[in-house]
Amino acid sequence: MPAVAPSEFPPPFDSADVIGPPTDPADERIEVGVAIVGGGPAGLACANKVMQLLEDEPELTEKLGEVPVAVIEKGKVAGAHLLSGANMRPSAMEELFPDLDKSEWPVYQEVTKDAVYLLTSGKALPLKPMPPNFKNHGNYVTSVSKLGRFLSDKAEEAGVYILSETAATKLLVEDRVVKGVRSGDRGRGKDGEELGNFEPGSDVVAKATVLAEGTVGHLSYAAYDYFDLHGADPMRWELGVKEVWEVKEPLDRVIHTMGWPLRKAARHNEFGGSFIYPMGEDKICIGLVVGLDYTDATFSCHDALQLLKTHPFIEKILEGGKRVAWGAKTIPSGGYFSMPKRLAVPGMMIAGDAASMVNVPTLKGVHYAMHAGMYAAETIVETLKKDIDSVNFEAYDEKVHNSLIEKEIYESRNMRQPFSKGFFLGGAIASAMTVTKGNFPGGHWSQEDDAEHAMDLGKAGDMYVKPDNELTFNKLDSVFLSGNATRDDAPNHVRIQTRVPKEIAQTWVSMCPAQVYEIPEDQLQSQAAEVDVHVTASNCVQCGAITAKGGRLTLPEGGDGPLYQET
Amino acid sequence: MAGILVYALHDDEGNFNKNSLGAISEAAKLAGEIGGEAAALVVGDIADDACAGLGNWGAAKVYRAKSVPEGLAQPIVDAMAKVITENDISYALFGGGLLGFEIGAGLTARLNAGVTMEVTEVKVQDGKLVAERPILQDSEIADVGYVSEPGIIISRLNAFDAKESGGTAEVVDVDVELSAWSTKATMVQRGEQRGADVNIEDADILVGGGRGLGAAEGFKLAEELAESMGGAVAATRAVVDAGWYPYAAQIGQTGKTVAPKLYLAAGVSGAIQHKVGMQNSENILAINKDPNAPIFEFSDLGVVGDLHKIVPKLTEAIKAKKGG
Repeated sequence: MPAVAPSEFPPPFDSADVIGPPTDPADERIEVGVAIVGGGPAGLACANKVMQLLEDEPELTEKLGEVPVAVIEKGKVAGAHLLSGANMRPSAMEELFPDLDKSEWPVYQEVTKDAVYLLTSGKALPLKPMPPNFKNHGNYVTSVSKLGRFLSDKAEEAGVYILSETAATKLLVEDRVVKGVRSGDRGRGKDGEELGNFEPGSDVVAKATVLAEGTVGHLSYAAYDYFDLHGADPMRWELGVKEVWEVKEPLDRVIHTMGWPLRKAARHNEFGGSFIYPMGEDKICIGLVVGLDYTDATFSCHDALQLLKTHPFIEKILEGGKRVAWGAKTIPSGGYFSMPKRLAVPGMMIAGDAASMVNVPTLKGVHYAMHAGMYAAETIVETLKKDIDSVNFEAYDEKVHNSLIEKEIYESRNMRQPFSKGFFLGGAIASAMTVTKGNFPGGHWSQEDDAEHAMDLGKAGDMYVKPDNELTFNKLDSVFLSGNATRDDAPNHVRIQTRVPKEIAQTWVSMCPAQVYEIPEDQLQSQAAEVDVHVTASNCVQCGAITAKGGRLTLPEGGDGPLYQET
Repeated sequence: MAGILVYALHDDEGNFNKNSLGAISEAAKLAGEIGGEAAALVVGDIADDACAGLGNWGAAKVYRAKSVPEGLAQPIVDAMAKVITENDISYALFGGGLLGFEIGAGLTARLNAGVTMEVTEVKVQDGKLVAERPILQDSEIADVGYVSEPGIIISRLNAFDAKESGGTAEVVDVDVELSAWSTKATMVQRGEQRGADVNIEDADILVGGGRGLGAAEGFKLAEELAESMGGAVAATRAVVDAGWYPYAAQIGQTGKTVAPKLYLAAGVSGAIQHKVGMQNSENILAINKDPNAPIFEFSDLGVVGDLHKIVPKLTEAIKAKKGG
């Protein structure tokens, strides 16, 4: 049988369905000044910055109305859906809160020591000299879900309305001008029927809309289609699975590992590595990040992380400890060439992960997102101050273009691609790129869509360990720890074809860290080429990986999904 | 003569609810003690034979309101109010259930009557009925008498046993004019909810069914086992999700939390989402073919084996023991 790629089974989803004009009668629409979709670093930096700038603009403040800035956040609180490494560069926090003492930052510590190891199945070999992209001196270890809560509190103090538990499910566009967003219905049953507590969504109309949806942006990607914004390369992602552990011995440095349990051979295309960061005296986080262009359908990032923890080098760090948090999220990894052609369209701007503002080789994105949010804020205030009815926010494009965001992401534009040549050759080329700031070998190494890689039923799945519930865990235990308690009768928000070749079904089953997809047991045993895929959508932690591998994550009801505290 | 009227609920096939039949038998017994007779009210187009057959459970008379729809409270309140005011009836007795609660409450308001909910027993004092109702989290029993007629008594589910007495009831048709508000709601669909008759949170013995039961039909094994022990059936999220069992029976993070004296897990893997709903059970017994199933980590007794072979034998053995 010829190999099949997930892209041959496109999801039943049309991005045009989530774009349309406002439908509520004019007097029933919720009018706000600035509508920001997403309470993450980008959206909340934007919200805070707008309020700071408005302090000197009483006239504009008046014109923006009763609700000058609203942040629409689908999580139970801002931060509930945020997950990152995170090893943050301080520049954005310094700029946003210049008078705030660093002791009040939501961070664990400044990085003073770091190390990179190449793992084999039994050994950890320090890499010296350290690959330059891994230098983290002067950065700060934080939890982005704590950072989100911090920025949200600051924004609320400044007068921002945080509309949590609210999903922005439709982009309101009239005459090719973005007018705001529509919030999702609540209280629908499994088949979409209205339950007793049904509440319809509302049109939220704004003078300016900022999409800061994070990775796999529901409205952002629809806007890419509608406004023809797709970059030179398709969007690409990596999947990160992360755990927080209480440990007996404090960790004295930031650690990155490469190699085992990811396989080095080029044909597997398993690109990634782990991070282990100290979080104060008694906690650490450990995560595994893998590019979603891998080709073995049995590969599971969740289970590979469990396996990784059994490595003697890592087991020693975790010894006597206890897992206290778990989560998973994709990371946009296409870099410069996947960024949208334009970041602003009439009435709207896109910021942060939703616009692929991630520097993959250096594992950085939080500060880019915040800087981009602040640029959007400046653009909004400067533009609307001149003309309250203006919808031209192109100045934002210009600001980002001339900033460190684009400069740095441009320098690493080709660094991810060589790894399809295998680990060692790829690593050598990428290092050369780093020291030459991307000038060697230069040009544009083009990228394929993650979903276009043909999948085969390989042997990765055979490597994984049976969970012992002390060091290693199964997916359902992990989902439980994410705080996810989504009601079971909610409509399914995951769009996939539910009858597909076994390779594709197995890809989804293994890939999903939250056990959303299952193949019925009798079909698993059978030799049938095609199988059914059963979807348990309430397990979903909205990592977004399904969008990379041939499906489409859409938004469930606001408030559903995980409740991350410290990821 | 002081009659007792019972609302006899039936499903779409015309089968009477067992709690209604239990209430009729109880009414017959009580009526005998206070010198009255037990009557039942049936709505909808139920055949003469079927109505008369309620005599077998103790009803002397059956009032049939053909034009009144089954399943909606307000039209039935209209029918019962008419029968009570036009006949010599001193009490209305309900066998429990949500619909019985709603009709009983509506009837109470309509007739400005006295009502007792959650009744577990009814006794006779000085020729009048006195309802016993558990109070203070079931730690005490309150006696509730009635100062006026009619008195409304709404029992808990399974409070009364249905007893066959071999009689035949006289069937009387009644015309009921529905109140304006009674026609505002219409029945769209009635669905059977197996297992919902029993409040699993109150059960001392629970048989929890999981995916290992294989199919919806597999729940029959769990039900038979539960019945043999006088227990109820609970379910995991996966099987509720698959439509094998109703949500009312779901245990776990997004279902109910239970702490029975015995929790017998049949084909339940024991995922943490299920565990948090039943881990406080006094004794946990698990049957699972997978020796690695997490359930064995928190079971008091674990049996690795095929539940399709073990459960029927266990049911048989328990029945034999109880019978002997």
